[in-house]
Amino acid sequence: MFSLRPPRPSFRSYLLPPPQTDDKISSEPKIKKLEPVLLPGEIVVNEVNFVRKCIATDTSQYDLWGKLICSNFKISFITEDPMPFQKFHYKNLLLGEHDVPLTCIDQIVTVNDHKRKQKVLGPNQKLKFNPTELIIYCKDFRIVRFRFDESGPESAKKVCLAIAHYSQPTDLQLLFAFEYVGKKYHNSANNINGVPSRGGGAGGSSSQTTPLFETYSDWDREIKRTGASGWRVCSINEGYMISTCLPEYFVVPSSLADQDLKIFSHSFVGRRMPLWCWSHSNGSALVRMALIKDVLQQRKIDQRICNAIIKSHPLRSDVYKSDLDKVFPNIQEVQAAFVKLKQLCINETFEETEEKWLSSLENTRWLEYVRTFLKHSAELVCILESKHLSVILQEEEGRDLSCCVASLIQVMLDPYFRTTTGFQSLIQKEWVMAGYQFLDRCNHLKRSEKESPLFLLFLDAVWQLLDQYPTAFEFSETYLAILYDSTRISLFGTFLFNCPHQRVKQSTEFAISRNIQLGDEKGLKFPSVWDWSLQFTAKDCALFHNPLYIGKSTPCVQNISVRSFKRTKKSYSSTLRGIPSSLKNGIFVDQELLPRRNSLIIKLKPDTSQQVESQNSGVEQYFRDWFSKPADLHGILLPRLSGAHIKLWKLCYFRWVPEVQINRGGFITAIHRASLLADEVNMLSRMLRQQRSPLPACCSDPDQSRMYFQASSLQTTSGIPEFLSSSFPFSPVGNLCRRSISGTPLSKFLSGAKIWLSTETLANED
Amino acid sequence: MASAPPPRYNSHSLENESIKRTSQDGINQDLSEAVPRLPGETRITDKEVIYICPFNGPIKGRVYITNYRLYLRSLETDSALILDVPLGVISRIEKMGGATSRGENSYGLDITCKDMRNLRFALKQEGHSRRDMFEILTKYAFPLAHSLPLFAFLNEEKFNVDGWMVYNPVEEYRRQGLPNHYWRISFINKCYELCDTYPALLVVPYRASDDDLRRVATFRSRNRIPVLSWIHPENKTVIVRCSQPLVGMSGKRNKDDEKYLDVIRETNRQISKLTIYDARPNVNAVANKATGGGYESDDAYHNAELFFLDIHNIHVMRESLKKVKDIVYPNVEESHWLSSLESTHWLEHIKLVLTGAIQVADKVSSGKSSVLVHCSDGWDRTAQLTALAMLMLDSYYRTIEGFEILVQKEWISFGHKFASRIGHGDKNHADADRSPIFLQFIDCVWQMSKQFPTAFEFNEQFLITILDHLYSCRFGTFLYNCESVRERQKVTERTVSLWSLINSNKEKFKNPFYTKEINRILYPVASMRHLELWVNYYIRWNPRIKQQQPNPVEQRYMELLALRDEYIKRLEELQISNSAKISDPPTSPSSPSQLMPHVPTHF
Repeated sequence: MFSLRPPRPSFRSYLLPPPQTDDKISSEPKIKKLEPVLLPGEIVVNEVNFVRKCIATDTSQYDLWGKLICSNFKISFITEDPMPFQKFHYKNLLLGEHDVPLTCIDQIVTVNDHKRKQKVLGPNQKLKFNPTELIIYCKDFRIVRFRFDESGPESAKKVCLAIAHYSQPTDLQLLFAFEYVGKKYHNSANNINGVPSRGGGAGGSSSQTTPLFETYSDWDREIKRTGASGWRVCSINEGYMISTCLPEYFVVPSSLADQDLKIFSHSFVGRRMPLWCWSHSNGSALVRMALIKDVLQQRKIDQRICNAIIKSHPLRSDVYKSDLDKVFPNIQEVQAAFVKLKQLCINETFEETEEKWLSSLENTRWLEYVRTFLKHSAELVCILESKHLSVILQEEEGRDLSCCVASLIQVMLDPYFRTTTGFQSLIQKEWVMAGYQFLDRCNHLKRSEKESPLFLLFLDAVWQLLDQYPTAFEFSETYLAILYDSTRISLFGTFLFNCPHQRVKQSTEFAISRNIQLGDEKGLKFPSVWDWSLQFTAKDCALFHNPLYIGKSTPCVQNISVRSFKRTKKSYSSTLRGIPSSLKNGIFVDQELLPRRNSLIIKLKPDTSQQVESQNSGVEQYFRDWFSKPADLHGILLPRLSGAHIKLWKLCYFRWVPEVQINRGGFITAIHRASLLADEVNMLSRMLRQQRSPLPACCSDPDQSRMYFQASSLQTTSGIPEFLSSSFPFSPVGNLCRRSISGTPLSKFLSGAKIWLSTETLANED
Repeated sequence: MASAPPPRYNSHSLENESIKRTSQDGINQDLSEAVPRLPGETRITDKEVIYICPFNGPIKGRVYITNYRLYLRSLETDSALILDVPLGVISRIEKMGGATSRGENSYGLDITCKDMRNLRFALKQEGHSRRDMFEILTKYAFPLAHSLPLFAFLNEEKFNVDGWMVYNPVEEYRRQGLPNHYWRISFINKCYELCDTYPALLVVPYRASDDDLRRVATFRSRNRIPVLSWIHPENKTVIVRCSQPLVGMSGKRNKDDEKYLDVIRETNRQISKLTIYDARPNVNAVANKATGGGYESDDAYHNAELFFLDIHNIHVMRESLKKVKDIVYPNVEESHWLSSLESTHWLEHIKLVLTGAIQVADKVSSGKSSVLVHCSDGWDRTAQLTALAMLMLDSYYRTIEGFEILVQKEWISFGHKFASRIGHGDKNHADADRSPIFLQFIDCVWQMSKQFPTAFEFNEQFLITILDHLYSCRFGTFLYNCESVRERQKVTERTVSLWSLINSNKEKFKNPFYTKEINRILYPVASMRHLELWVNYYIRWNPRIKQQQPNPVEQRYMELLALRDEYIKRLEELQISNSAKISDPPTSPSSPSQLMPHVPTHF
């Protein structure tokens, strides 16, 4: 029982904003005005009035009164009460501040504290008690609590069941994105343009669009950009004729004919033949492929593939194969680590975990896994970069660990992928198009035993690099956190499917069932997550920009005596690059020197032959040399890997925890200063340009709005603004309500760790 | 061997202007020429040795020993390694291997340093080179045992500012608005007769007479009576510091002490209780009764509330730091870093100290209650708590000069026993009096600066420099245990202050992100989730661990500042030339800073 009696529906909700007439004291007319904001295709399935949203964990005095609705897209709490204590909240254009998308729900717990009962709600379940409380555990680490003390018991129950039902759909096509896109197509039936198909502006500020790698030309451009001369775009999978989990276009060694590829493809798991990822300027290529399941053919095919890759190397260098399944934890282990991490960060009480915090954190193994991914990727960087060898990432299906490793290697090696557009194109290339199973790994349908946060692990690893090299990335850590959140909004096609073919197949079926004319389009075009303007205003998109970033176009202070900044020019062009220069040592390799099938240990040519140990010490030496020199932000970046350097990504995991929040503090306060200054510098440079060659005012510079904190605004004058905190731009207010019955942490009540585990373990307690 | 030269290690940033370029004596004129030398520093000897670098393996080099430092330069062409270690940093010198030792580099010296590293040198068994080196090092690293002066007394460096002028207690108390109606400045301890470990000048309640003070002194350990450290500018609550009351096993009471505390309580009319923070764990406070100490009981002090802050004693802290060294030097524990770090308890101690200081600050500021802080003697934990609470409450102490004053006041003048805790010039490395209490305080300051990157005028380098010279014995600042001894030794006349070095080169120690905020109270979050090991200090000798220097965030900001100045300059030039061409002054503002607000922005 609550020691504090819940107040009657407070005066606040009727008095604020002031009622028009005195006789409107009765709640009826006011409550009716609490209307949800709905997207096209969104419908309200159930709602309940007089709901209290809990704000603080230990008192009900700040609770908000309003209406809770469940739609086919989200849970929405609609209130006119102002949020207490909150100084800042970034606005998502798709979601109100109290809303939770259905795909973001991790677990639904209903409680009746009079009967001391609770139940984790699965789909199609019955509830034998009337809930007094609903607790939503979210995938983005929030814990949101609603109380029904004053609401109709039956309607409260109905809403809870509706949420349980709609958040755990039985079919992919029941995800809201389909309804939304279907509506868009209907609405634009007369409009020839339809839904925009390309990726949106990078960070909402640049006119550059993100290559989606859906087309031949995107791949061709990437080949040219990296100067990969021995590689070509292959279209044998057009219409997904060869493999349903490969993209329609991908890149293969030029020496392999389509006919051969078709034959080879049968031997690979999922017919996933080798896919080119990227080429180094020295000609070494990064390739990913699935295992060869055909034992008889294994050796032959492996040799043919390796030969072809060697031929594509201007130096005819050998290949190094890395068997990722042997290096890394499997996806279940990663998931287990994540569950423990979440339990530790969010669910357990703050004070109890303080004493053993460090060892508990170690025991989750999350940081260990982040480190393992960074470490192995860095070792492969060394092989590509200093040993001039091509690298093959091999994994059973080649669509989990490979995504993460291939991306990390490219972030470390190629500064283009540290720009916002480049990073987004990398995710398209190595995750979305390469068939990372977002649907299963994000567990959008809540049915999958295949849930695993590999994508978050990747973002975390990128954050480690950003933390260590804070001036090397165009985007901010806020961008990374919001990108993670965006995987939980079932509106974007980007993170909805297991592979591109699934989108085409499912959406074509859907289109037919809804009488949508697709014309010559391959399936419905879903909005892309890269179109950030769907979620944020241009002003808020500036939160994604890192004001410390030193881009290639960033003004240099070379002429200024104060401090010269070393910036070498040997970086990768984001446009085109010539063919690598040196072919002088290009010697063809004898057949018998090729690696054996599936060999983990590379066999090197005699003149460069080394033992494995010296191979490792070579890596060691490479790291040592690299770290002894100042880092070139436009060259290779290597992570520092000691335990003291791999840190917990606090913004992502602690943003809702009120106890951890540093008010008017945290790294953001330095970012704030840097943003103001960078904005001032931009403004001065614009003024200089205008002074030199006056242009009409409309012709404004695209950089104009890049900084979130602007020197021209009033906040400049008075120190650190009130609304800044280490959680910025997120706010813990009302987003982490851990306590439930009589101040007992809910986790204890529900027997601890089980709460984040599968629904089955707790299901039948009523 | 490394093809690229290993990084240069420089234990010190040596200012070029202070390096004496001429060498008086010398066989290797050309080599010793480049050995940095302070004015007053004399070369004693040099030897060819092999430096056994824990990171890069053995390196052949020549070591130069002066009365101030040990300097090693590698003799290998592909290695630019340099070691520059003030002898004051040496805690222990051991011989390793005997005349019959076999194996490569097994015969030599092993030097333990106070700054988280060890140095190993291998020497030839023939001749007496090791004995020579051992004797010379012992003599100059531990001059007290050889009736030699500390180097600070030989140092002839000149700076254009005098660091000894930084702290003037009268001025500092005046800045705090003292004396006032309730508090007076007392000269009772002018000749250190009341308390020999307190400063000459004390701030005490107006209503307490000098006789009262003398009577209170009899009931406080080492006569360290409650005196004012800081007064809140608005609500006039105070932070008062002292040592434990001499309660003893029999539970003695002292009417004068009780009355005196009540007088302190009454200086602030807003609350009926005086809050006493005993920094120790409850059990330790009880145990102290056995040796005549104790704490203020409820019965005796009706108008006071007592809280224990659970901070452990100097011995626990020393052992904890030893464990930290074990996991970071020479190799950083890899496989179980976090649990190893946890097992040192170092961050846990940091947390307790910070938590205690937050409670003190919060009580004074929001609780509107005056606070009395003590531990046993009131010179270790008490100094940590009062200084940190003052740093949280008073933004002045977050400036470079303010911080110097804080250290000078709460630590140096109030008798933190630097000589005993550090063991300056003393060879007794196992002395139980040694403890890293001041280092722990600086670590807490660093933790705060991490959480509030814009709140401090000084940067990390400032804190590291203070710690380096805590040991170096180049300056008089941290010598001796208390003010009375320092006065007797004429430290301010005969030595240079560390603040002279820092204040004559302030730019180097400035945090570019510093945003002046007057009256802002800074409460760090004392949670294990935020506390970190100070890698750039504790693990700085490991080239693989050391973070980017200079700090890339600071560097980028400095770049932007330079860019801004350059643009403003160019704009001004353009405007001058434009207004010279077109005489249209009303529309062209005179300075770009005036222009800025008018620039249309996107929103």
